[in-house]
Amino acid sequence: MTRQLSSELLVLRKRAATWILLGIWTLLGVFFAYVVPYALDPEDGTGGIRPFLPESLAGTLLAGFPFFGGVFALMLGVFALGSEYGWDTLKALFTQRPGRLRVFAGKLAALGIVLVPFVLALFAAGAVASVVIAQIEGAPVNWPSAWLLVRAIAAGWLILAVWATLGVLLGVLTRGTSLAIGVGILYALVIEGLLSAFADSVGALEPLTQGFLRANGYSLAATLGATVDSIESSGPGSYAGPLVSSVQALAVLVAFVAAFAALSGYLLRRRDVE
Amino acid sequence: MTDHVIETRALTKRYGEIVAVDALELRVRRGEVYGFLGPNGAGKTTTLRMLLGLVRPTAGDAAVLGEPPGSRVALARIGAMVEAPGLYPYLSGRDNLRVLAGHAGAAPERVEAVLSETGLSARAGDRTATYSMGMKQRLGVAAALLKDPELLILDEPTNGLDPAGMAEMRAFIRSLAQGGRTVVLSSHLMGEVEQVSDRVGVIRDGALVVEGTVDQLRGRSSLRLRAEPLARAAQLVAALPEVSAVATSGRLLDVTADVTAAAGINQALVSAGIAVSEIGERRASLEDVFLEVTSNGGGSR
Repeated sequence: MTRQLSSELLVLRKRAATWILLGIWTLLGVFFAYVVPYALDPEDGTGGIRPFLPESLAGTLLAGFPFFGGVFALMLGVFALGSEYGWDTLKALFTQRPGRLRVFAGKLAALGIVLVPFVLALFAAGAVASVVIAQIEGAPVNWPSAWLLVRAIAAGWLILAVWATLGVLLGVLTRGTSLAIGVGILYALVIEGLLSAFADSVGALEPLTQGFLRANGYSLAATLGATVDSIESSGPGSYAGPLVSSVQALAVLVAFVAAFAALSGYLLRRRDVE
Repeated sequence: MTDHVIETRALTKRYGEIVAVDALELRVRRGEVYGFLGPNGAGKTTTLRMLLGLVRPTAGDAAVLGEPPGSRVALARIGAMVEAPGLYPYLSGRDNLRVLAGHAGAAPERVEAVLSETGLSARAGDRTATYSMGMKQRLGVAAALLKDPELLILDEPTNGLDPAGMAEMRAFIRSLAQGGRTVVLSSHLMGEVEQVSDRVGVIRDGALVVEGTVDQLRGRSSLRLRAEPLARAAQLVAALPEVSAVATSGRLLDVTADVTAAAGINQALVSAGIAVSEIGERRASLEDVFLEVTSNGGGSR
């Protein structure tokens, strides 16, 4: 398994798309979490400049994960499996020794590892941005506790992992990348977005929306410091609530990861490779 | 214990109404180079995919190296290149092989060994997106050799190669068969199969229509002669004990007899005052056989 994992890490590590997504995600993540709102009006939010300071690092950054980060993770997941169909590499991999599920497990594990730098890079860039803002404002540089940071990084990883495994599933379902990314973004924007928006006025939709990725992602982010204000003003990814408990959010997100992975594995194992 | 490395029993694959492989009975013996011939769409690649476990049969079954197709035990002993080689375009040739070697559990040293065997060492560090079609084919063969397999399945390995490359590949395939390795070579190129294979199977509409050594398929040689007057010559030749049949073909006679009988037939005709202007061996080429058995109504051999 170790050699399969290192093979799959090589495939992801040497792919330009991985680094391009990482770079764009990090830049835009900091841009929308710090640069734009601070430049527009640092005193506008309910917490004044507090969300831009190092002490609010975890919550401020996590608010960008459930939708914005999700789209990047979705693309990464689609690329990880969907591209294999286009290049015909799945056929080569499946005729090696380990069997289909082991190949898939290697791919999933490598994808999970690659998501770690996505989280860490944004947290590092966010830390730099928050310190710069603190210096500009003459505010003290107080960091959140190490425990909160560890939990926030783990939560960020889990939120990205859900979307990445959804991307894997869509890549396997559609046996490609273009349609998978289109369907994934359509789901995130239209299905989750519109239904979540309508849930305000149509009460019957509320239980449904509480099962959505964004509801549970934002709920997890909120327990680690993301403000309701930032969640409700996340543009196309905004969510007006209600938020669910951290336990439910954690359980639902883990269940989604498991379900998406299991379904992908089932399809890969059962379907013919033409 | 059977000495067949591949054995299929009524192997069938249907896609809706279309029967891609129809109750195929295929036997490949240990240590031989088996040429798998058939026109486009005959079911060659689908058969190979079933043997590798990539495609599930609709009916029938198969044993590859005594194991079910696609089983880990079987795959550990098989190297394969089916259709175009699957390569990561942004990885170098060497890295592509490293990825596969990692999954195959092949020793890392095998990567350099197969690069050298296939003559790709000099370009091994370049991205495969920059490779020519022929180089990609050779890398595909290199990938198939990573496990030092007992059974090598190659589907159209000379695709994209220039004539020199094709000759080189044919010699390479023959060398691969030494040491007891079995090679299944699927191709639509008659010359390629004729020069390399010990036995040949021809598939048409998903079913094996003929199988045998190249010599067996080409059949017994016969004689063709031109003589005047033709009718008298035919009468005389038909009466000779070494001749089993005579047929007129335009201004020529097709004589079913061993080629060693040519001198005697010639002498008999000349002695009878018949002018013989031409006499020679006539033998069907593998292409003739292929065209005969793959055309409608063929397949009686």
